[in-house]
Amino acid sequence: MSQVRLEQITKSFGNVTVIPPLELHIADREFVVLVGPSGCGKTTTLRMIAGLETATSGSIRIGERDVTDLRPGLRNCSMVFQNYALYPHMTVAENIGYGMKVRGTPKAEVDKAVTDAARILNLGAYLGRKPSALSGGQRQRVAIGRAIVRQPDVFLFDEPLSNLDAKLRIEMRTEIKLLHRRLQTTAVYVTHDQVEAMTMADRVVVMNQGRIEQAADPITLYEAPANLFVAAFIGAPSMNFIEGRLEGGDGGLQFKGDGDVAIKVPENRAGKLGAFAGKEVVLGIRPEHTMAADAGAPTVKLTVRDVEPLGPHTLALGKVGQAAFTAQVHAASRIGPDDQIEVPIEAAKIHFFLKETGKAIGR
Amino acid sequence: MSVRTLKGKRRWLALGGCLVWLAITFFPLYWVLITSFKTPIAVVGGPTYLPFVDFEPSLTAWSELLSGQRGQFFNTFLASTIIGLSASIAATFIGAMAAYALVRFTFRFRLLSALIFVAIAFGGFLVGRHVLGYGQGISLIYAFVAALALAVISSRFRLPGPELGNNDIVFWFVSQRMFPPIVAAFALYLMYTEMGKLGFKLVDSYIGLTFAYIAFSLPIVIWLMRDFFEALPVEVEEAAMVDNVPSWRIFFGIVLPMSKPGLIATFMITLAFVWNEFLFALFLTNSKWQTLPILVAGQNSQRGDEWWAISAAALVAIIPMMVMAGLLSRLMRSGLLLGAIK
Ligand SMILES: Nc1ncnc2c1ncn2[C@@H]1O[C@H](COP(=O)(O)OP(=O)(O)OP(=O)(O)O)[C@@H](O)[C@H]1O
Ligand SMILES: [Mg+2]
Repeated sequence: MSQVRLEQITKSFGNVTVIPPLELHIADREFVVLVGPSGCGKTTTLRMIAGLETATSGSIRIGERDVTDLRPGLRNCSMVFQNYALYPHMTVAENIGYGMKVRGTPKAEVDKAVTDAARILNLGAYLGRKPSALSGGQRQRVAIGRAIVRQPDVFLFDEPLSNLDAKLRIEMRTEIKLLHRRLQTTAVYVTHDQVEAMTMADRVVVMNQGRIEQAADPITLYEAPANLFVAAFIGAPSMNFIEGRLEGGDGGLQFKGDGDVAIKVPENRAGKLGAFAGKEVVLGIRPEHTMAADAGAPTVKLTVRDVEPLGPHTLALGKVGQAAFTAQVHAASRIGPDDQIEVPIEAAKIHFFLKETGKAIGR
Repeated sequence: MSVRTLKGKRRWLALGGCLVWLAITFFPLYWVLITSFKTPIAVVGGPTYLPFVDFEPSLTAWSELLSGQRGQFFNTFLASTIIGLSASIAATFIGAMAAYALVRFTFRFRLLSALIFVAIAFGGFLVGRHVLGYGQGISLIYAFVAALALAVISSRFRLPGPELGNNDIVFWFVSQRMFPPIVAAFALYLMYTEMGKLGFKLVDSYIGLTFAYIAFSLPIVIWLMRDFFEALPVEVEEAAMVDNVPSWRIFFGIVLPMSKPGLIATFMITLAFVWNEFLFALFLTNSKWQTLPILVAGQNSQRGDEWWAISAAALVAIIPMMVMAGLLSRLMRSGLLLGAIK
């Protein structure tokens, strides 16, 4: 059992608090991805788990052990770094086996572990080469090989794929996923790429300024973002937001917003949202939910600025009132810049957030 | 830009300039070389430039030198080699460790601790000498041991005053190379003779001169190696730390091999410094452990300007360094010094 528990962990560098108290429990065998904008503290959190940074306060447990004050080597983690961090003067085989050799494992056992790792990672042909004679993808595979022969309690990845080109990144993404399925080891994976986060994770932890905004499985994040930050961060192109207020009346609850937007709140949600009548709210709708087929759907008026044909569909970028808005339209539609179009909105996919706190309401 | 990209007249000008400079740097060497093959009569009989044409070369100077008529030549060469190699190896090794510590660990101490050291060292010496009536050597040892102990102990407490860090330590090391070496050479000579009176022979001994050279090479070694270590990617060491590799294995098994180019360059620079050093050797040796620079300089004062003999001795002092320089440039060209960290 190797669950990881960060309990009220904080980190300050001098006077700067990078991580305010943070609570995160990672289950055994779970693949957790930490994602967030640059500088939000993902790496710092990961390094605290590895022991490369000491937590300013709070405690860290791996499995049943309290590792808060343990040095990195005794935590039984394996870490894969963005820039590979291979030992440049050793061959691939020596790189993978070095840790075991140092820990006094018999040579036959080391050789077997290296061969196994090389087989899993398709490195057999390169075992005798130095890292400088390998491509980026091969180097990262060596780094992963070095991590798996450790047979760690926890795998830690810090943006392992961001030095690779787009195609290789997608390949390696799958490889790491398969590897996790096969080894069943708890893994914490840091990235700033939300697609990577969504595709790989059992659970995605969205971080912002050292705080956890939401921790949930990818679909929940997408369908039920807990607040404006997560809503804006997850999904590409990102969600559209229109500011306005909820107004009650004889026709039921209505959202009235900038740019003559008036959208009737569906009956099934009016009940929960009724309490927020008269409050400033933000309406959120994803671009992919602006292609509703049914005739009665509410619409907003979009002034098109730019058109991006993507093939399967086309994006119309422009403004609704003062707010930037991206709509997804049929590839066949003939629209151009400066057109005014009526964009239908799928009422069921609308999100509401309280403007004051940014929290999602009405679910 | 290379000379090849220049066209026409400018190209010839550049080439001519280079040749002139080459002649200026090579002529003294050439002059020394032919002089060492001249007979005394050929030397005093006015300038001659081309062997076999202007003058008949002779091996007089070399046979005199190698047969020992010109002082303990073999002994001196041996002493220079032993001291040079051992001092540069030790300095590179110790300095590399110090530089690594200064790059990867944070040190903090109060200025007051340093002042305590200075005050106790000087005050203790004076007290020992004049109040307690110890000899110079004994007072010196007691004062320094007490000063060191008290400074270390005092750094355990939260003293007032400004705090010093790694950069201050490095500056302290480098600053030792700023004052004229004669100051230290003289003091060192006095200290060594005092130690000699206590029964530890340091003047004209292997230990004494090697210690002095190690101490005076360390600042440069630390300074150079610090830059090399700072350029190493820290993640490599962190990966090893996570992999439970002990610190000393990280240093010897990963950091040192990664900085091999830096170590080689630093070693050679140190060796060149020690090999050519004159002042300390002059003060701290007199016969047995005399080094080549002293022997060469001594030729003139002992026997008068016998240029043929001086030339031969000078060449012997120069040649090992030229071989080293050749090796170094070979290493550089073979790419050993480049791209080792990747
Ligand atoms: N050694 C340090 N001293 C001071 N501040 C630091 C230190 N290390 C990190 N920080 C600060 O902590 C914050 C979080 O850094 P961290 O590296 O964890 O960000 P990140 O989420 O990994 O970002 P990125 O996606 O750019 O890698 C940043 O604002 C950074 O400036
Ligand atoms: Mg980071």
